[in-house]
Amino acid sequence: MIRFLLRRFVTMAMTLFIISALVFFIIKLPPGDFLTNQIAELRAQGEAASAAKAEFLIKQYGLDRPVWEQYLIWIGVWPGPDGSFSGLIQGNWGWSFEYDKPVNEVVGDALWLTLLVNLAVVVFVHLVSIPIAIYSATRQYSLGDYAATFIGYIGLATPSFLLALILLFYSNRWFGISIGGLYDPVYANQPWSWGKAQSLASHLVVPTLVIGLGGTAAMIRRMRANLLDELGKQYYVTAKAKGLPARRALLKYPFRMSLNPFISDIGNLLPHLVSGSVLVSLVLSLPTVGPILLAALKTQDQFLAGFILMFVAVLTVFGMLISDLLLAWLDPRIRIGGS
Amino acid sequence: MFSTKRISGAAAALAVSLALPAFAQSYIETPMLAERVGKGGLPAVGERLPKEPLVVDLAAKGRTVGRHGGDASSLVGRARDIRYMSVHSYARLVGYTEKLELEPDILRAIDNDSDRVFTFHLRDGHRWSDGKPFTAEDFRYYWQDIANNKELSPAGIPEFLLVDGKPPRFEVVDERTLRYSWDRPNPRFLPQLAGPRDPYLYRPAHYLKQFHAKYADTARLEENAKKQKLKSWAALHNRMDDMFENSNPELPTLQGWRVANAAPATRFVFERNPYYHRVDTAGQQLPYVDRILLDVAAGGLMAAKANAGELDILFRGLNMGDIPILKEGEKAKGYRTLLWPIARGSELALYPNLNAIDPVWRALNRDARFRRALSLGIDRKTLNNALLFGLGKEGNNTIMEESPLSLPELRTRNAGYDPMQASRLLDEIGLTKRNGAGIRLLPDGRELEIIVETDGEGGLVVDGLTLITEFWREIGVKLFVKPQDRTILRNRAYSGLTIMVAAQGLDLAVPTAAMAPTELAPMMQTFYSWPKWGQHVETKGKNGEACDMPEARRLLDLYARWMSTGDNAVQAETWREMLQNHVENQWSIGTIAGAIQPVIVRNGLINVPKNALYSWEPTAMLGVYRIDEFYWDKTTGKEAANPHPLRFADSASPASGRGE
Repeated sequence: MIRFLLRRFVTMAMTLFIISALVFFIIKLPPGDFLTNQIAELRAQGEAASAAKAEFLIKQYGLDRPVWEQYLIWIGVWPGPDGSFSGLIQGNWGWSFEYDKPVNEVVGDALWLTLLVNLAVVVFVHLVSIPIAIYSATRQYSLGDYAATFIGYIGLATPSFLLALILLFYSNRWFGISIGGLYDPVYANQPWSWGKAQSLASHLVVPTLVIGLGGTAAMIRRMRANLLDELGKQYYVTAKAKGLPARRALLKYPFRMSLNPFISDIGNLLPHLVSGSVLVSLVLSLPTVGPILLAALKTQDQFLAGFILMFVAVLTVFGMLISDLLLAWLDPRIRIGGS
Repeated sequence: MFSTKRISGAAAALAVSLALPAFAQSYIETPMLAERVGKGGLPAVGERLPKEPLVVDLAAKGRTVGRHGGDASSLVGRARDIRYMSVHSYARLVGYTEKLELEPDILRAIDNDSDRVFTFHLRDGHRWSDGKPFTAEDFRYYWQDIANNKELSPAGIPEFLLVDGKPPRFEVVDERTLRYSWDRPNPRFLPQLAGPRDPYLYRPAHYLKQFHAKYADTARLEENAKKQKLKSWAALHNRMDDMFENSNPELPTLQGWRVANAAPATRFVFERNPYYHRVDTAGQQLPYVDRILLDVAAGGLMAAKANAGELDILFRGLNMGDIPILKEGEKAKGYRTLLWPIARGSELALYPNLNAIDPVWRALNRDARFRRALSLGIDRKTLNNALLFGLGKEGNNTIMEESPLSLPELRTRNAGYDPMQASRLLDEIGLTKRNGAGIRLLPDGRELEIIVETDGEGGLVVDGLTLITEFWREIGVKLFVKPQDRTILRNRAYSGLTIMVAAQGLDLAVPTAAMAPTELAPMMQTFYSWPKWGQHVETKGKNGEACDMPEARRLLDLYARWMSTGDNAVQAETWREMLQNHVENQWSIGTIAGAIQPVIVRNGLINVPKNALYSWEPTAMLGVYRIDEFYWDKTTGKEAANPHPLRFADSASPASGRGE
């Protein structure tokens, strides 16, 4: 077991190293960088003085060095412009030019709201889809099954950003919920109160529904298919023949078996909690990580974008590890290691 | 010295001198601040105002005297955009009036000796928003310790302060008088101070000295900088000193509102500056509105939020296409949609690159007949109907009629629709051979296919080009639209790779004679017709190419003439000749102008002009319309239509509890 873990950690480090290189070089692919673009922009507006300020920053952050050197400085294995090692490895996440703040401050503020939205989505997806899936699997080809399938497919096929706009419009018109954001602007700078929590809850409905709908449909289909596989198997027939009550027989055996794929999905779920729902967040103007990432990529705010992508990569890698360990614990048929 | 003119708000100065004794007693305390004044936390209004405040005669402007109170909410696309409050709030040393005349604003008066010697007179008793006196020291600090400090300003002093590369002599005459003088005229000086981006010749010295190595302990400063992950004391100073960005709530200001919270936030609150220097004729200190609230919202949601009646005033972020949805919500949500013409030379202008590397194209683009033919080949009426609901103005890329310099033929000359004449001109140049598809051939046998590059940001430009493709096909010219990223486009243009670029037209479209005609002369590389000539001037001859076409050289001479005089009549004449030169030579080919900027205003907000020009320069968006004079008339409908009853509970809000 320990050898397995060690081996996994080594591969994880390698993977992260490769990802970091890819991320950095791809961000740097378009010509120029945040500051040179900024300088061009400032010059165009006839503001040579501000442009000079930006040139000053270029030197400070080593943007005038070759890309590979910038990369090594960023991950912390090469001395920076001031001669010291200060990069990701040393815990310095870099500087966001767009926000003019250290990256950790920029991301930190958005992070918990992101987690909140995406957790709500995950809970919503599971709460809705599992009962429906069980229902439609046990009553295959019934009217209810068709209805659930039909609605599911509509959910899958509707472009989420369109649905988001429509729901926003009507939730404002019918329920008076302010458009976009995670709470009414009135509460923006106020400490937490009952009213603010209520406002947050009412604003969570639309994003949860919109982001969750596509996932719900997919989940219903997968769960239904998994269950159907198991339902035909002999152990289930035997259990029922031995007189086990129908519900208990279903939930205790085939249902548990059909959960396996979801456990192995945790690896994908973790990063999704942070970076999922970019498009919808953008449309709904949610103060989450997604829009920050997109803006950072567009403006080539390299350290900010690089950090978010690396963070997601770390989550993915760890999520995979966790799901492997969980699966081994949950399903006795799975064994770790070759022997 | 007979040419010395004193710029001072004549009417206002008169009102002050006549009414001052009576006024001193009769200022009305601002309700929002009354409590703090009562507790002794703030001096009374009479002591907060300068001894000679700027008295705003609202009646003379066709406005009404308002009342204090209320908040006005608006939207910004991202947190950084709160910087535009510095544009809108528009308190300048000298500022434009609505009629675009220069008047002293923060300054009490300016003595201008032939645009060479400028003497500033400050207001006695004028204070920063933290109550500390605003004096000549604040100008000296900027000049000696910021502009002339190599670490803080590595590029040296701003370009508009240089005449022939030489800085002005700066002298402090006394605590409230200072002087900038040049040997030769600097007519750009005052217009720059009144521009949308104030260069801030003054900084709050009493606050900033604690961050300056000359006044504070360098070791401590460096340590502080390190703590904030900044690399030097200079970076720290620059960060604390960003007057334009509104990013530092601690930084004192002279504007009407002062930012009360810093990023990260989704709502930014701007609170009234208790020491603001403007007052109305009834003795009420401006601004009327207590707070401005800026919420961060995605650009795509702005029209929808306006339609839902969620904000009080909005313009930036709305465009012409939003008008139907904005109109739709007017009645139900109690706001009005004002339609302001945008001042811009042209919504879509084509820039033939006279510096193109390709010799064949370069020769063709330099032929005035070619450029005129392309202009005559565009059916601007169809463009207008298709893109601007027929409300636009068809014609050249030139100034708007609202400008005092405007001449009737500027818009129309060489800008009719005459495909026959266009074809004749092209034949005359010698482009007579055609291929099977009816497209003319270049002298070297290539197809006459003009690749028009655009930054693809405005939908209108691309749509317009698609239509022009059809018009030009009739005169045997093929057009290929190539949208791309703006940075890449610029770099291509600067290195001469583009043949033609499509972009918006002149930015300064309602100039007066006193504003610099920089855009018209070949001296800016961002003007896509002559990027290399522009480079040559901008880099003082190090890069680019010298302007080698006599017609274009004439523009440089004219610019020099404008620069060398303080005489308005000569300047006006120079402007007109430059404009005519442009129209005659079609350096850029204009199409349609006069797009509309929708402005959303909630009912009950008074003193907002019904119809006004909207532009970045010179109106500073809404700046010259003085938003500090807008006020809530609480008796009309505002509360009835207000979906947020909390909005008037202003004194209970957490942000207003901050001490000065």
